[in-house]
Amino acid sequence: MVKVAVSGINAVDNPGPGLGIIKGLREGETPVSVVGLAYDAMEPGIYLTDLIERAYLLPYPSEGEAPFLNRLLYIKEKEGLEVIIPALDAELPLFIDLEERLSSYGLKTFLPTQKQFKLRAKDHLPEVAEAIGIKTPRTLVLTSYEELMKALSQLKFPIMVKGLFYKAFRAYTQAEAQQYFHAIVAEWGYPVIVQEVVKGEEMNVVGVGDGEGGHFGLVAIKKLWITSLGKIWTGVTVTHPELLTAAESFVKHFRWRGAFELETIVSGDDIYLIEINPRFPAWIYFAVGVGINLPARLLKAALGGEPERDWDYPAGKLYIRFTDDLVTDLEVFQHMVTRGER
Amino acid sequence: MKLKRLAISEEGFVFDPETGNSYTVNETGLLILKKLREGLSPEEIAGIMSEEYGISREEALRDIQDFLEAMARFGLWEEKYG
Amino acid sequence: MKKPYQKPTILKLQVGFLREKKSSLSRMVRQEIDGVPVAELVEKFGSPLFVFSEKRLREQFRYLKRLFEGHYPRVEFSWSYKTNYLDAICRIFHQEGATAEVVSNFEYEKARRLGVPGDQIVFNGPYKPKEILRQAVLEGARINVDSLDEILDLEEIARETGEKLRIGLRVNMDTGIYPRWDRFGFNLESGEVLNVARRIAAGGKLEVVGLHCHQGTFILEPEAYGRAAEKLVDLSQKLENDFGWTIEYLDLGGGFPSRNRLKGLYLPPEVAVPPLSEYAEKIARALLTRLPAGDYPLLILETGRALVDEAGFLITTVRALKRLPDGRRAYILDAGVNLLFTAFWYHFRVEVEREIPGPPEPCVLYGPLCMNIDVVEESALLPPLARGTRLVLSPVGAYNVTQWMQFITYRPRVVLVTEKGNVEVIREAETLEDIVRREKIPEHLK
Repeated sequence: MVKVAVSGINAVDNPGPGLGIIKGLREGETPVSVVGLAYDAMEPGIYLTDLIERAYLLPYPSEGEAPFLNRLLYIKEKEGLEVIIPALDAELPLFIDLEERLSSYGLKTFLPTQKQFKLRAKDHLPEVAEAIGIKTPRTLVLTSYEELMKALSQLKFPIMVKGLFYKAFRAYTQAEAQQYFHAIVAEWGYPVIVQEVVKGEEMNVVGVGDGEGGHFGLVAIKKLWITSLGKIWTGVTVTHPELLTAAESFVKHFRWRGAFELETIVSGDDIYLIEINPRFPAWIYFAVGVGINLPARLLKAALGGEPERDWDYPAGKLYIRFTDDLVTDLEVFQHMVTRGER
Repeated sequence: MKLKRLAISEEGFVFDPETGNSYTVNETGLLILKKLREGLSPEEIAGIMSEEYGISREEALRDIQDFLEAMARFGLWEEKYG
Repeated sequence: MKKPYQKPTILKLQVGFLREKKSSLSRMVRQEIDGVPVAELVEKFGSPLFVFSEKRLREQFRYLKRLFEGHYPRVEFSWSYKTNYLDAICRIFHQEGATAEVVSNFEYEKARRLGVPGDQIVFNGPYKPKEILRQAVLEGARINVDSLDEILDLEEIARETGEKLRIGLRVNMDTGIYPRWDRFGFNLESGEVLNVARRIAAGGKLEVVGLHCHQGTFILEPEAYGRAAEKLVDLSQKLENDFGWTIEYLDLGGGFPSRNRLKGLYLPPEVAVPPLSEYAEKIARALLTRLPAGDYPLLILETGRALVDEAGFLITTVRALKRLPDGRRAYILDAGVNLLFTAFWYHFRVEVEREIPGPPEPCVLYGPLCMNIDVVEESALLPPLARGTRLVLSPVGAYNVTQWMQFITYRPRVVLVTEKGNVEVIREAETLEDIVRREKIPEHLK
């Protein structure tokens, strides 16, 4: 029995990947006992006792490395924790930085390097796309309002207005673009990225790189229905050869280590890179469901084993997300707020 | 009296069945809540706290007033009725 | 034995605020600074009180010097006066071997008064009054020219002295970072630098011997320094080939970060701020791969913040407690933005002088000024504090004891904890006399 901690158990309208990862781990061949890591006592995963044996609150990554590390070591001490699979963008830099120290305490991870993590910044996308032989939508990096006005006269509407790491808005008019520009500057500062919208099929690839240029499987999907927050609600597996080749080049060229997701738009023969996520996506269970159990393979890699590398999955499998209800006592909530764990 | 309706756990978890709100109190907060429910006045509670923790009555009373002020803002305390 | 007392608290539980609270407690206590108890410092020297650690200043300087010299053979650190020009602080860095980097007549005069010879001074800044510029020329200072008008001034001084003057050029460029500072010196990409160089060569009065580039402040991208170094080397080779000058120094300016928490950055500084070794590596790699072996110009670095910020603390005392209409606690401190200019850009580490029991609560730290902007920290997470509790704010060593204001109240003492553990006053507290001394009342108002 391997004790694994998984974060991102906030299965809400903008869900974290945690529950999908956990379902995968539970279906894998290595028996696991799961510790859920949460940042708020209301994260739904805490209350799903069938999926998650124990749950702990973590301090916010912004509070500093020392409290974060102390908390993880406390959990390790109490639970005999062996592996951590972090799944949220905001905490990843901390885990990456702490990787060696965690490992010296016997806590294993399987993460990208800091350099790889940095590739996700949107101003790096053109460089990544070029390296793996695909395109990016026409993109301008802006650092002033004057540059925005100049950019707006050059780009075709609609355009995407994006922050370097977070936030993306679709603007149909000049006024909208200006409004989103100001909103992003106010919250995240410069630079702001504006990008022409490419029409095409929204396709994503998930995978786990082995850190040496190979991988433990890839799965490509197309989003069929997305929510108003842009989150996938239904999807279908695809086996787009050029897209999968691009994903393999990505892994090979950057010697990617750990989980990743590439978000792309496929338009005829052209593939446009939209985003790189250095972690599993929230729909990761889709890959598990079609026979490529990436979470279990990542766990195996973290434990120092040699995971399977086959990834022959069928196209045309359907993914359906649905909502669910749970009724429970206040007790778990009470423990989480008074003790920070259950 | 609003305090009577509260469900208070020994861990300092407080649930208000009427509003559905939950609160946490620390050890001294818990002591004050319990004593108020027993009908003691803030002055009397200050005496107990000063005895138990070795602080001055003035400091205890000021902190109790501040605590009651916070309670009042949450709608859990009214100066006149308790 | 009495039980330890904690102030009574009640917190309403709200989704989004149901966070982990225990792990953050231990880091918030600071009982001493370099072995001197906070309580003792306040009893002897009052509150608020700026405290600098000589040990940290020297250790950080030696660390950086070793680091850069380990990567590149010829390095000079030039102490950025504007970051902190208290005499004692400057003395420490000069003793360690730093030259002086100044940007005004005041700073130039202060460095000279401290005994720094002119040829140990780097003179930057967009406005160098003619008189001081002439003095700097005569005393052999390294002058980095910021504008064409300054070139005209220098040519005039050259005519007076009858000698060819050796100058440095300030260059601004795109190194891939935001915001791009393009107001200092001459732009590289537009070709302005080369035009100016031609103009200088044609004048025959000046000779360019150095290049300078200051990219900005608190730069979190080590690669930007690598790019700046590459571009300066390329430019120096071009200038040497085209005009026959010898570029003796490349000055990469300052902008190196300390481990302070810049507002708007989510991650803690331990993670968000790259280690200084990365900067050293990027700079050295760029220089060594482009320069011919053995022909190494002097590398000048004007690190300010990275040297001094983390050696400075401010001790302040809670003077009053408040409860805001939204239920949050607020504390009035005896130090505000009058002393902590950098509070506008950074979230300081807030430490309490002793362990205070009780759950941390969101609270606001206000300064003592009767001004709405006087907020030291808009959302701290602290256990309930009693009046009189002392807090230690850090890092505050950079830019505060230069940019602080005499406004509404007096400025307090600054002390130095020496390497031996003694405490020395390095700047006395202001008195009414200090402030009114320069005022005059016209006869008819007497």
